[in-house]
Amino acid sequence: MIASLRKGLESTFKGTEVRLLEERRMSVSAPKDSIPVVLRHLKENGLDHLALISCVDWQETGTLEVVYILSAYMQNDIDYTLDQKLHVFLRTHVPRENPELQSVIGVFANAEPYEREIHELFGVRFVGHPRLIPLFLEREYEIPPFRKDFDTRKYAEETFDAIPRVDK
Amino acid sequence: MDRSQIAKWLKSPAEMAHKYSLHAVYFCTGCGIIEIPPVITTRWDAERFGIKAVATPRHGNLFLITGYVSLKTLKAIIRTYEQMPDPKYTVAFGSCPINGGMYWDSYNTIKHLDKYLPVDGWIAGCMPRPEAIFIGVTHLWTLIDKGKADGYIRYRKNYAAYRGNQEMLFGDLGWPPLYPSDRPGGEAS
Repeated sequence: MIASLRKGLESTFKGTEVRLLEERRMSVSAPKDSIPVVLRHLKENGLDHLALISCVDWQETGTLEVVYILSAYMQNDIDYTLDQKLHVFLRTHVPRENPELQSVIGVFANAEPYEREIHELFGVRFVGHPRLIPLFLEREYEIPPFRKDFDTRKYAEETFDAIPRVDK
Repeated sequence: MDRSQIAKWLKSPAEMAHKYSLHAVYFCTGCGIIEIPPVITTRWDAERFGIKAVATPRHGNLFLITGYVSLKTLKAIIRTYEQMPDPKYTVAFGSCPINGGMYWDSYNTIKHLDKYLPVDGWIAGCMPRPEAIFIGVTHLWTLIDKGKADGYIRYRKNYAAYRGNQEMLFGDLGWPPLYPSDRPGGEAS
């Protein structure tokens, strides 16, 4: 499965890079425009479970790396061979300034809360998302709080320490 | 019954009854709530001390804040606290509600709980052992005896300041003040 998946990805989609990180852990890098089609291709080839979408802030290169973590949903089923038990990390880079990415709700419906989370914590805008409103956060932040240039200590001092104590 | 307490029972039966039947609101905050199930069940059996967990704030008079308080939780805590009937006692549990604990520089965790709600007692530790809850409760009994567990009175008295602090964080809270300042009896300092 690993070999056929690798061959299929590299021959079908231009600009994808496939690496094997460990045994049964595959990293796929793809350009940001081809994310929905690559995801659909992976889904049709047995990786039908989107476990998580995560994000990494690379300040040095000025990009945000969005990572889609996929596996086979029934991989612990007895019918699955060892070869089919595979984790795939689909990575793509978007610029830190005005980051935009196509939403993948059409492929995996459970991407909806993950995309909202990444939008509020990293500021990536997902085009085509039906309601991109905050998921956890209660206040509005000038810089999304999980970016590396967000100074949490300064923010906590300015916000929470600035509130006066109530005298007895 | 302890014979030495008969005089107290005769003097103020309501106060003694409040003291020995603390109904804790089963409100889960942060990591400390994992200590509560063993405390209220057979292993440590909080009912020896008259503590019982109740499902709704309208039945409770003890509010255990069990761990770090994020902004969203604080909103729920204020709502729950305002629904509890008087007299009510708040005990902050763990080091996070005291001064932030390990979340002292977090973007989303309030550091000092007593800026937004009156707190009657603190149990320090990360996490405190279940025994510490009982020590805290016996201290709370002493405070109730001496009339020092007056958080709900302080909340009424300084309501404008507490509400002001809450509104500094949230802007509009979304519900009207518990003690409107223009109503007689609900005077704000």
